[in-house]
Amino acid sequence: VRVGRIVDIELEAKDADAARTEVGRMCEQLLANPLIESFEIELHE
Amino acid sequence: VIAVVTFPGSNDDRDAVAAFESLGVEAVLVWHADEQLPDVRAVVLPGGFSYGDYLRCGAIARFAPVMRAVKSFAADGGLVLGICNGFQVLCEAGLLPGALRPNASLSFVCRDVGLVVERADTPFTARCATHQRLVIPVKHGEGCYIPPDGLPPEQVVLRYAPGENPNGAVDDIAGVVSESGNVMGLMPHPEHAVDPLIGSTDGALLLGSLVDAVRSHAEHLRQLGALADSRS
Repeated sequence: VRVGRIVDIELEAKDADAARTEVGRMCEQLLANPLIESFEIELHE
Repeated sequence: VIAVVTFPGSNDDRDAVAAFESLGVEAVLVWHADEQLPDVRAVVLPGGFSYGDYLRCGAIARFAPVMRAVKSFAADGGLVLGICNGFQVLCEAGLLPGALRPNASLSFVCRDVGLVVERADTPFTARCATHQRLVIPVKHGEGCYIPPDGLPPEQVVLRYAPGENPNGAVDDIAGVVSESGNVMGLMPHPEHAVDPLIGSTDGALLLGSLVDAVRSHAEHLRQLGALADSRS
């Protein structure tokens, strides 16, 4: 496993699911290139 | 007329303009923040380090306002050529299949490489012969092309010559076209190979093919215009 980068994002969301959905969207569209990279999301309140 | 887009960090935009002018066609620079393209027959995304290549090469440039216009230009069948960083931008924008990763050597590479033309029946390679060998320089840190699963072989236009792959690209792929054939990306720099004074002129074969395509399109439009005039 190669860790390319770790990105910390602070955001306000109405619940954990909403936050996960939004960050997932960011990862798919910009933060990761799904063709060559995979990503994991960890939530902390 | 051919448009060459300048992103912040592009550095081969003027070389591309100069190369096209040496081939006898007018080229204009278009700013990345422009939302519209001028009336052109082809668009070139040049080499460089758009937006500092932060995150991944080309990842931020694809959100530039001009890219929306480039996408609709391509969707209408317009000819789009991405060179090096431009290739990376086109992949990130989804206009070309695949992605470019850091070179297998993890080092920047800058030298002439041998190429083999796999397809001479595209608007970008029509002046070449199939299996013709070209020598054109590369200069990049992230040129290791990774095709998507099941990339049709007919979309591979250029390969590095056997033993000359400078970056670990899968199947030695150096340049690809879109499924519809009107968008091409390549890592080597044809605009740096148009003058015998600095080595090879093989780049002029590729850029000249694009010039021919632009001219034949203009001629086609002129004939249509003449036809319309004769009818009225």
